[in-house]
Amino acid sequence: MAALTHSIQRRGRQVMVTVIFSVALALFFTPLIAAAVFGFTLPGEGVSFESISLALRSTSFLPQLLMTLQLAVLSTVGSLLLLVPTLLWLHLKAPRLLPFAEWLSVIPYVVPAIALVSGASLFFRATFPGFLVSPYSLVPFYMVLSLPLVYRSLDAGIRALDIKTLVAAGNSLGATAIQILLTVILPNLRPALLGASLLSVAMVLGEYALAALLLHSTFPVFLLEMGNNQPRAAAALSFIVIIATWLLLLSLSTAGTQRTRVTGGSCRTHLPVVSSTTPPKGDR
Amino acid sequence: MNRLKPFQGAAAGWLGVVPYGAFLAIFLIVPVISNIWTTFVSQGRFSLDAMSRLLKPQYLDAFLTTINLSLVTAVLGGVGGLALAWALNAAEKPRWLRNFVLSYSAVASQLGGVPLAFAFIAALGVQGVVTRGFLDVTGWDLSQTFPLASFAGLAIVYLYFQVPLMAILMLPALGSLKQHWSEAAASLGASRWHYVRDVVFPVLWPPILGALLLLFANAFSAYATAYALAGGGVNLVPIMIGFFISGNVMMDEGFAAALVTGMIFIIVVTMTLRALLERRANKWLR
Repeated sequence: MAALTHSIQRRGRQVMVTVIFSVALALFFTPLIAAAVFGFTLPGEGVSFESISLALRSTSFLPQLLMTLQLAVLSTVGSLLLLVPTLLWLHLKAPRLLPFAEWLSVIPYVVPAIALVSGASLFFRATFPGFLVSPYSLVPFYMVLSLPLVYRSLDAGIRALDIKTLVAAGNSLGATAIQILLTVILPNLRPALLGASLLSVAMVLGEYALAALLLHSTFPVFLLEMGNNQPRAAAALSFIVIIATWLLLLSLSTAGTQRTRVTGGSCRTHLPVVSSTTPPKGDR
Repeated sequence: MNRLKPFQGAAAGWLGVVPYGAFLAIFLIVPVISNIWTTFVSQGRFSLDAMSRLLKPQYLDAFLTTINLSLVTAVLGGVGGLALAWALNAAEKPRWLRNFVLSYSAVASQLGGVPLAFAFIAALGVQGVVTRGFLDVTGWDLSQTFPLASFAGLAIVYLYFQVPLMAILMLPALGSLKQHWSEAAASLGASRWHYVRDVVFPVLWPPILGALLLLFANAFSAYATAYALAGGGVNLVPIMIGFFISGNVMMDEGFAAALVTGMIFIIVVTMTLRALLERRANKWLR
């Protein structure tokens, strides 16, 4: 009897699960499908690539896309160059300072992009008025915005490695510090480096507030302008951007699973792209 | 001989943080401090004038609307997200289905900004696919009932990332409820309701409240999504700050800085509460 009620309860639960999943998937995909349908059709003509090809032929499309890609590469490289040496140094020499460094890394949490751009324009217009004129001045601010994510994923990667032992082993074999860094530590950190880079790139590709308010022409700014006069082209491009972001973040979770395979540690089969410790990437 | 240890002692440790600290000082901390300075110092003296002007009806209304929107989307997103997290946790059979929903939830929780806004305009805008379809079938114009450039419209779009974010945040906490707790409770004669009230609720309320606070801060600081959907149509603090920076409205510098200070203050309070709750929540997790 108890077993029977238990199995009925269990069946009921699975029905609930199916209902919730169906509703969730329907709601998740409605705007996506709508964007694709709206963007790739014309009224009375059916499927058409007319609107998007018009958008792609616009003179500002390519320069603005290239600018965003450059900013993504520069911000990502910048973050890695700043954070990898800092974190390695702290883990090796001054673990006592790690909580302080981590505390610093979460400050961007409480400073929304719109507040950062306001403070930045106040400060830099008063001290170095020329600085904010170049679009490349966005790079350090993008590094700040992605800091909580990038810091955490690099720190987690380094913690998983036991670098003290690796360095001691390298030293005992007579390797120099540079050799240890290049041939032992960095190759082992590759999944963490990759994960951090993907998060940083995904953030830069979507960032609108700083670029628009500091008057720089990036891809999201192009997209918004497109939306004002060519809504179908904007919908088509938005669809492509969302799918691209999905693929980017999906490859992140594959990078995560590869790590567990390489180190042979805990064999979790699926790592979610973001976890409860991962904040939203802050580009809304 | 240890080549990686050229220096010893505390000084060496601090030396390593210098580039990182200097970078954050220049591009984050000093801009924020100069913003706070501009708020409270006017013509060389301390002044609460700019802050007190935040209480004027028009600006107070912007804060109240933003707080309202953040509260509504945090609570509704919280309820929806809890349901989704429960389903992800209880799902048994097709493993791939659960993984697919989980993976898309993780991505959706990170979406936002201009592309999401345009996807919603393509669905629920005046010419939107869903709007047209609904109009043809039922004669009901959704874009009249829920115009996207309104409070309700923004709330719907924000829920698109709030619900999955709540689900992702709550998943570990739900996973920490051990199966044997419910069995132990049942064997002691507790009903399902007793179990939820006396075991599940005391364990889960700190992480739930903590996640709701993060959702609140998340909605409060959103700019691009709201701007792309509504422009100046909804009186929100981030939009108002944006108009000032881009020179679309006339405000003095001190007052714009006060708006930003007010916004940072609300988010700092929210996130501090969350950090305190998290400490409490960790007692039962893992």
